[in-house]
Amino acid sequence: MNKILLFIALYLHASKAYRQSKSFIRDLLTNANNPYKKYVDITIIFLIITSVVILIYEVKHPVPAWLDFYDIYIVSFVFSIEYLLRLWVHNDISESIISEQKESHFLGRAFSPVGVLGEGMLEKLKYMLTPSALIDLLAIFPAYRPLRVLRIFVLFRVLKLLRYTKSINQFTEVLSNKKFELLTLLFLLFFIVMTAGIAIYVMEEQTNPNINSLFDAVYWALITISTVGYGDISPVTSEGRTISILIIISGIAMISFATSVIVSAFSEKLSELKENRIIEKVNKSKSFLLVCGYGQMTKMFFRHYGGEYDNYIILENSLVRMEQARKDGYDAIHEDASRYETLNKFNTDHCDITILCLTASDVENIYITLNAKSISRSIKVIARASDSSMLSKFKHAGADHVLMPNMVANTMIHTAITQPTMYKAIHAILTGKSVARIDEIRVYECESIIGKSIDDLAFKKAKLLFMGIQRQGEFIFNPLHTEIIQGSDILLVMGREISLDYFKSLYEKGVS
Amino acid sequence: MSKSILLFGYGNHGKFIAQGLANDGFHVQVVENNDDFYTQALDDGFNHALKVDVTKDEDLEALKPESYEQLVCVMDDEHLNVFLTLSLRSLFKESYILSISDSIHTTKKLQMAGANKVIDMYEVSANKIHNILNRPVATQLLEEFVVHKNGIGFREYIIPEGSFLHGLMTDDIDLAEYGVLLVGMIDEELGHHFIFITAGVNHKLDSGDTIVCIGKYTELEAFEKRMKQKEMN
Repeated sequence: MNKILLFIALYLHASKAYRQSKSFIRDLLTNANNPYKKYVDITIIFLIITSVVILIYEVKHPVPAWLDFYDIYIVSFVFSIEYLLRLWVHNDISESIISEQKESHFLGRAFSPVGVLGEGMLEKLKYMLTPSALIDLLAIFPAYRPLRVLRIFVLFRVLKLLRYTKSINQFTEVLSNKKFELLTLLFLLFFIVMTAGIAIYVMEEQTNPNINSLFDAVYWALITISTVGYGDISPVTSEGRTISILIIISGIAMISFATSVIVSAFSEKLSELKENRIIEKVNKSKSFLLVCGYGQMTKMFFRHYGGEYDNYIILENSLVRMEQARKDGYDAIHEDASRYETLNKFNTDHCDITILCLTASDVENIYITLNAKSISRSIKVIARASDSSMLSKFKHAGADHVLMPNMVANTMIHTAITQPTMYKAIHAILTGKSVARIDEIRVYECESIIGKSIDDLAFKKAKLLFMGIQRQGEFIFNPLHTEIIQGSDILLVMGREISLDYFKSLYEKGVS
Repeated sequence: MSKSILLFGYGNHGKFIAQGLANDGFHVQVVENNDDFYTQALDDGFNHALKVDVTKDEDLEALKPESYEQLVCVMDDEHLNVFLTLSLRSLFKESYILSISDSIHTTKKLQMAGANKVIDMYEVSANKIHNILNRPVATQLLEEFVVHKNGIGFREYIIPEGSFLHGLMTDDIDLAEYGVLLVGMIDEELGHHFIFITAGVNHKLDSGDTIVCIGKYTELEAFEKRMKQKEMN
């Protein structure tokens, strides 16, 4: 028996396919940043909504048999698969059996996997008893129509929606922060309702024809304290009315207390919720910009090019400047980009992230660069440095591009004085304001170019000036016309944007 | 033909610009009002550097700015820089003034003060970020062309009398065989505007037009000599 268990555990441990599929499914079901998770979510939500709609429709109309079949078998089948998968990925029993075997081998004691097996099962059982797992389990059962009471199962399907709706999750999260206040309130409510219920039961059970049991009395107390007041049961004696007065007054106090607790919980969390929304939004996109610091440089950048970048977040650790950025209409959050937790919130696995370190301090910029690179090498960093002595430090920290505003300005002034005509041309090219600009064509984006010679390409037709090839870090200026284009080349051309687009479109379609 | 430049300021920007211009063979007159920067300028070999209170009109007049081709205001103190630009403009209507600005608001003030050209430090940097994001390789190469790093650079020529280029249309000429590429030109017949070769308009080249080419140094030099010849081989 022990051997069989160990054999199974070792077999599963050794199987790459098993581990890969398990981690894939775990990621799919639990990681909100997984790009495929939304398809799973949409499917489940669709199943829930259709089954609820079917039940509502059925109240007054007969439904066709295939809809019944769909509701009872298909939906339940999918839900049970989902439930089993969640249970499966919750923990790894095979791993704990193996580690137990290693430990007992090390200590020289008898190996018995039953203990760990039990622990693993207990772990799974604990999971099964969590509210969301219980709801999942109950939602599997289709509403059994002939028995009206069992239609209640459809409620669990609606409750299952909770798992898939973020705002309700956030709502419960916010409320759970006020657990203490809410529990106190609930306890107080329970105490008053019970006291008043018992009091009215004792006072009026004999005289009031509507109060026949303690349940009636407690029900009346709750209806009254909540200020709902149906009026189906009302006190008839002056003692009963006195109790009513007392619980109505305490009810008003309690409702205002509850409201204020909930409101304050939200106002405390509101900015965080907003920021999470912004982060979620960019995490869903394929590539985005993180701009650190909202100073002169960032302002200028957004003023000129803000419209061209949809997916970006400004991280600013000064509250005043963050507010300023929001006022100016940009998505900004109040976070310190040099902290590991901040950058780790972003979806570094599935997105292309470019960080612009534009704070005024070199120390800060270097720190952010290192922070980003330590989280993932694939994050691209463009950092601002105050002068050239910092250049080597930034390169060492791993910055992909280092920008020195002073140097850029100095070079421009130098050019403006020494080559005034050129300055106009270069400025126009650099800013892209004019009809011409220098641009690059990545050969791998237009595959049909590969293997052609420069003479074959329609630069003239597209009104582009071909300047050279960047090949493996080397720039070949004005190569021979017979030069053959390779897959990793980048072609440097000058021309209008429309020319460039036209040129690319020529080769994307594979037309030569 | 060494041009003469009157450079106000030897701080962050002035220092670099003065040295760059001196290396390119310009005659640079450095003017400072800050003691430390002034001493720095003397130490760096600008022996004619002057220490002048730039807020006084008499002192400015004594510098004879009208005898210089360009006045460059790159003082570290931006308030002083705006004031200086304004004083120079009001004293010397004809001079060409170039100023540096390190904020959005200053750019506007400098333009109002009468600077002929204002270079906004943040604007050019913002452009650069945009370029790096969208075309990293091209940006880097272009920069290397500007500072002549790989032996490749831009050069402007005035087409000499009797050159073989005279009378040719821009669409018909291919300078690739000379190892240079024609980037653009200033057609004197059509006003003093720079026209890129790829703008899609066919221009006729005349003697006296300015053309801008890109190429390797040696080939740019060779082309300058070749251009003077009458025949196109």
